Amino acid sequence: MERRISLPMLILAIAGFAYMLFPIFVVVLAGLTAGEFLTFPPEGLSLRWIAAFLQSEKYLSAFFFSFRLALMTMVVATVLGTAAALFLSRTRMVGRNAMRAFFLSPVVLPGVVIGYSLFAFFIATNMGISRTIWGLWIGHILYSTPYVIGTVGAALAAYDVSLEEAARSLGASPWRAFRKVTLPNIGQGIQAGSIFAFIVSFGQFEVSLFLSAPNSEPLPIAMYNSLRYKFDPSAAAAGIFAITLVTASVLLTNRLVNIRRLLERQQD
Amino acid sequence: MTEAATTQAPPRLGRLGLQQSHFKWLLVVPLIIFFVIFFVIPVGLIFATSFNPPAIGQVSVTAEFTLENYLRFFSRSNYLMAAGRSVLLGVVVAAVTLVVAYPMAFVIANTEHPGRNTALLILVLAAMQLDMVIRLYGMMVILGDNGLINQMLMGLGLIGPEDPVQLMYNFLGVVLGLVQFSLPFMILTLMGVIRGIDPSLEEAARSLGASRRRAFFRVTLPMSMPGILSGSLLVFALSISSYIVPALMGGFRVGVLPIHIFQQVAEGARFQFGATIAAILFLLSAGAVAIYLKVGTRRSGGLT
Repeated sequence: MERRISLPMLILAIAGFAYMLFPIFVVVLAGLTAGEFLTFPPEGLSLRWIAAFLQSEKYLSAFFFSFRLALMTMVVATVLGTAAALFLSRTRMVGRNAMRAFFLSPVVLPGVVIGYSLFAFFIATNMGISRTIWGLWIGHILYSTPYVIGTVGAALAAYDVSLEEAARSLGASPWRAFRKVTLPNIGQGIQAGSIFAFIVSFGQFEVSLFLSAPNSEPLPIAMYNSLRYKFDPSAAAAGIFAITLVTASVLLTNRLVNIRRLLERQQD
Repeated sequence: MTEAATTQAPPRLGRLGLQQSHFKWLLVVPLIIFFVIFFVIPVGLIFATSFNPPAIGQVSVTAEFTLENYLRFFSRSNYLMAAGRSVLLGVVVAAVTLVVAYPMAFVIANTEHPGRNTALLILVLAAMQLDMVIRLYGMMVILGDNGLINQMLMGLGLIGPEDPVQLMYNFLGVVLGLVQFSLPFMILTLMGVIRGIDPSLEEAARSLGASRRRAFFRVTLPMSMPGILSGSLLVFALSISSYIVPALMGGFRVGVLPIHIFQQVAEGARFQFGATIAAILFLLSAGAVAIYLKVGTRRSGGLT
């Protein structure tokens, strides 16, 4: 049954979408403007800032630093998160909801506090990684793993465990039953989860703030440091590449899993 | 083992079930260890540090215990105001985000066409995943003193060229930025709840003579209350925790708790007092999240 959407509701919703998306559109325009900065109406389009970005040591190295960090984060977050999601889907123990909430909490708790805690911890334990890619890696794993748990958890919720049990009762070993039956069924969910892990690591700012240094600077931190002083259109050009990356990953995710089901799953 | 499988299936299943229950803990132990070492202990250290006497430049925890930092926090109007400003900001942002997000969630929830529905969700998800610094760059280009809105107003002759409307570097700018940040989270939380409301209830109200507006405000909206409540708590927790939005949209003129933490720690090397503000912010945020978990009967699925 469908509820009709009234006109005022539709207008308000369109205004809301405009508010949500217009700044992103503006970044694309600012990166493609022909002028020194974005004016209204725009002065015309050019690729000069894209070229400036591609030649800028600062943004380009930050872009690749972020890319590498996000890949490293993705690998660990996918393994740890998938395993934990499997456990959570199979256990009936008391407190499993609390455990799930605990694993998801780094996403909603203050990133600045988490970053500062890790920074102080690395110094106090003399680990020597407080301002290196390794320290950032740990912070980003903490922040990205919840997204894997959520996405793989959604895939597992749609999966009928009795399939694996059937394979087991026919004589398959636990590992074989998992590999041959469960994994193919949730594989796309795992891939979607790893894409999320990559992309949230790539855009992560708050946790990185205390953990980065001038020679280990992820893209958001580099952009922030330049934005504090001036509007550099080559930062917007860097933004265009990031926007492309995010859009491509979300579209890819949509091919892998049913986004509607992923986002509307009712939690128990 | 395989022999037994063909002959005595039921007891074997039971035995394996038991084995599996031990085995499956291996799945979660690595993440538990990771979280304990790199989340519980570090945050615990920060709480411990907040009870150490202030010593500039000293990071490590010592055995000395004092309440001095907390007394300082709660006796200086500067910091109390920052806490109050953070809470006020969280409340205002939650309210504004709710008003903006509700129609969006309503339209998404009631778009039955699968392709259109997916397209709208992709937009929400892409906006949510995109680096906040990039989105704020766009906001600043729009709202700045020389920004698009002010250029347009000057072009129309509504304001003088030396007299731009202050849309950012103040409380308003921070609110506008945080609403931009929070919208996707609120939409996803509301959407599931709205979809769960049976449209026939609204129709029943209408068939009994209620106008559409009345049916919406008396039936649909009240039934969205669980989503409204949990979405607002989520947005509150996210807003009070944000550093980047007050930093760029407030231009450091809107002193909220995360800004003070960074100033104390990174600029003043006052690690103990920084830890105190961090502990207070952490508790505020965790409190909101805890209530969110309590009231959240239905929540957005995978992502929060």
